[in-house]
Parts: sequence; structure tokens; C-alpha cells
Amino acid sequence: MPAEESTPAIVLRARDYSESDRIVTLLTRDCGKLGGIAKGAKSSRRRFERKLEPLTHLTLFFRRRPHGDLVFITRAEPPPAPAPILDDDLGKIALASYIAELADALTGEAADSADAYLMVARAFDALGRSGASAAMRQSFELNLLRVAGFGLEFARCRVCGNSPSEAGAAAYFVVARGGVVCARCRAHAPEGAVRLSPANAAAMAELAGAPVEDAARMTDAGAEGALALARFLGSILDRRLRSAALLDSLM
Amino acid sequence: MAENFKRNDGLPPAMTRLVKELSRLPGIGEKTASRLAFNLLNRPRDEVIALAEALLEMKERIGLCGECFGLSDAPRCPICADPDREHDLICVVEGPADLMAIERARTFAGVYHVLHGAIAPLDGIGPDDIKIAELTARVQGAAAVREIIIATNATVEGEATALYLARALKPLGVKASRLARGLPAGGDLEYSDSATLTSAISGRREL
Repeated sequence: MPAEESTPAIVLRARDYSESDRIVTLLTRDCGKLGGIAKGAKSSRRRFERKLEPLTHLTLFFRRRPHGDLVFITRAEPPPAPAPILDDDLGKIALASYIAELADALTGEAADSADAYLMVARAFDALGRSGASAAMRQSFELNLLRVAGFGLEFARCRVCGNSPSEAGAAAYFVVARGGVVCARCRAHAPEGAVRLSPANAAAMAELAGAPVEDAARMTDAGAEGALALARFLGSILDRRLRSAALLDSLM
Repeated sequence: MAENFKRNDGLPPAMTRLVKELSRLPGIGEKTASRLAFNLLNRPRDEVIALAEALLEMKERIGLCGECFGLSDAPRCPICADPDREHDLICVVEGPADLMAIERARTFAGVYHVLHGAIAPLDGIGPDDIKIAELTARVQGAAAVREIIIATNATVEGEATALYLARALKPLGVKASRLARGLPAGGDLEYSDSATLTSAISGRREL
């Protein structure tokens, strides 16, 4: 029998399977993204912390199965540090759901997704402390995109390399360039480029360069920044995230 | 010829069809479906006919109560039609099974509102997909509602639904309450999970 392994993990998705089992997708610190089956998870709170509910932070114990993609989850215990409280506010639930779904969409099953796990864990902690905000959403999107290899550039023009704010005019976000072009290089921006006011372009640059924990005291990049990020995410994801509808209706 | 050999499950087509239909039911795999099919095969004909008639009658007659959206075979369910129930006290539940669970406790004398689901952001189920608009319309149309008890499940989806309902009901000026969370009756502290204990401690009451 394979040895039991353990790792801190966050439940990204869960669905009931048969009378008392659950199939879950977890983002782990040490083992990448895992799919697992937990026998009796719906009936045993003692063996499975919070019954492996989505958005739960826990310490996962599992065994790999020689055949089949799903690991066998033997138990789930509380995480080493107290988990943030996310279910006391609708905005927190909506943003945490979006964070989990985006992390699921942008991470593969390779074991090198520790950075994504840490990003989600830190975002959940910040969300639990400060509540949901547009700045936190945009900060998480920018930081997770960077971790996933899509570092967007807002501090420098993608064409001339100068700071867009030097011109004191609007910048233009171009999806295909993964960043902004300044007003002087506007000829390089196609028709569909998203216009960012100087303030919003500066806010995006600041959010992209700061850790997600700092987002609560930062200014968001407004509807222009949200549109730029939505356009970029739409270009790399094959579907619209299901949790975005509720989140958009709240903020 | 091996390539022309047609796989056969050894059952007549009528039995295969029954096994296939039974195995569509939740929690029933092919083996259980086969056992049920053989059990039905060996039962007296009138018992099988009674079962078939019960299934058809259920499908043809059961609909939703026009007031609470619980299951009913009449325009108003027996609970909504009962003049002895407290019609100004509404308990909101996710599904008919939750209504049955509260009725089994025999402690609630009000009426219900069945949402037929819960807000589940990760599944793309939003407020418009469950019967929340029907609840607010019901509250606005009622002569007086004393209190709404939100009895959604203690899950992420249940909490999201409860918090959304609290927001939706606030402008209507109606009192809304949430079921308490904590230790189950007969439960040992030793075997409680950390989330339940956290709720129990934060929701403690003075003696």
C-alpha cells in the first residue's frame, strides 16, 4: 500500500459522490493540484475537517492510488494556523469563490504550484481580515497571472519602455502585448485596446507590484482596470468563470 | 468470429432496460439495480403494478404549492392551507427534504418557503436561479410578516444564500433570523470539528 502523505491544502471544488462520499479538487503546498475522493466525507466531521467544503483551508492526508487519477483522501485536519473566516460576509464568499475558481483555471496538476497555493492562502487571509474589495480582486488577478507566467506590464510602455505617466496622458492596454502602450506610442495600439486614465494606469502598476496582503489599503484601478483584466483573462481562459457573475453583481 | 461476437449481459431486453433505468437513480449502481430488478421480477404482479402506478401518480399529480413552493398535489399544500399555523412566521429552507426534517422535529408552527437550491458561486447558481424573488414578492404581498427564519444549510452555499436573503429582506423592514450553529444534541466536544466548536463558542449563551 502506498505511504500516507500529508500537505497543507485548500479545497477549490467539491461535489457529492454517492450517498456519503465527496470528490474534491485541492490546491496543495507540496503536491501541486490534486483530485481526490474522500469516502464518508459527508458523514464524518471528525475525519474530514468541515466535510471538505469548498474554500476550506486544511491539512490533507492522502494515499496515491496505483491506478486512477484521484488520490484516496484518508483524513483532513485543521490547518497549522487558524483558518480565516470567509463565510460571514457575502462579498467575502463571492470573492473567495472567484479566487478559488481562477486559481483552479490557471494552475496545472504539476507539483510546482506551491506559489499559486501560497498566493491563494495569502489572499484568503487578507480577505478574512479586511473583507472584499475591487482592489483585492485586481491585486489577486495580477499576482496570480504573474505566478502563472503572465506578468502584465503597467509600469512601462511595451513599445518604448518609458513610464506611461511621464506623458501625463492615458495609457492603452493591449491584450496581445500583455501590457500598456503609452500615448506617444498609441499608433501601436489596435482599435480594441482598453484606455486607462493616468490614475488607473498608475493604480494597476502599483497593484501589480505589491503583495496581495497590501491590497486592502490600496486604490483599485476602476472599471477600466477591471475591463483590461477581464479582456486578458478572457483571452487565456476557454470559458467565463462561473463565480464572476455574483461577484460582478456585488462590486 | 471473435470480432463478430456480440457482448451480451445474459438478460432479456426488458430486464436490461429496467436495470438501466434503475441505475439512473442517485446512489444506485448497476449491481444494486440488478438486485432490485430481480426482486421486482419475483414479486407478485399486483405489487409491481402498485409500484408502477405510484410512480406514475407521483409524476402526474405532484407539483409545487403556489404559496411556499413546497411539494404539493393541490394548488396550496396542507401546511399553507392549515389555519392553525402561524402564517406570519416563515421558515426559508433550501429544499423539500429540509422542510420534512423541520416538520419531524414538531417544534415549528409557522409556514415555509422552499428556495429549491442555494446560491453556489462555484457552480454558477445565482440568486435568480432559486426562488428568492418569489419570497420577496410574498413578503411584500402579505398582510404582515412577523419574522423570517433563514434555515439554509451550514455550508458555504447556505451561508451565501442566508447573507443574500438578509440583504434582500432588509429594505422590506421584516425581521430576519438565522438558525443557530453549534454542537449537536448528544455530541461530544472531543469529536467535534474546529469549525463547529468555533461557532459554538462564538454563539454561546448566558445561563
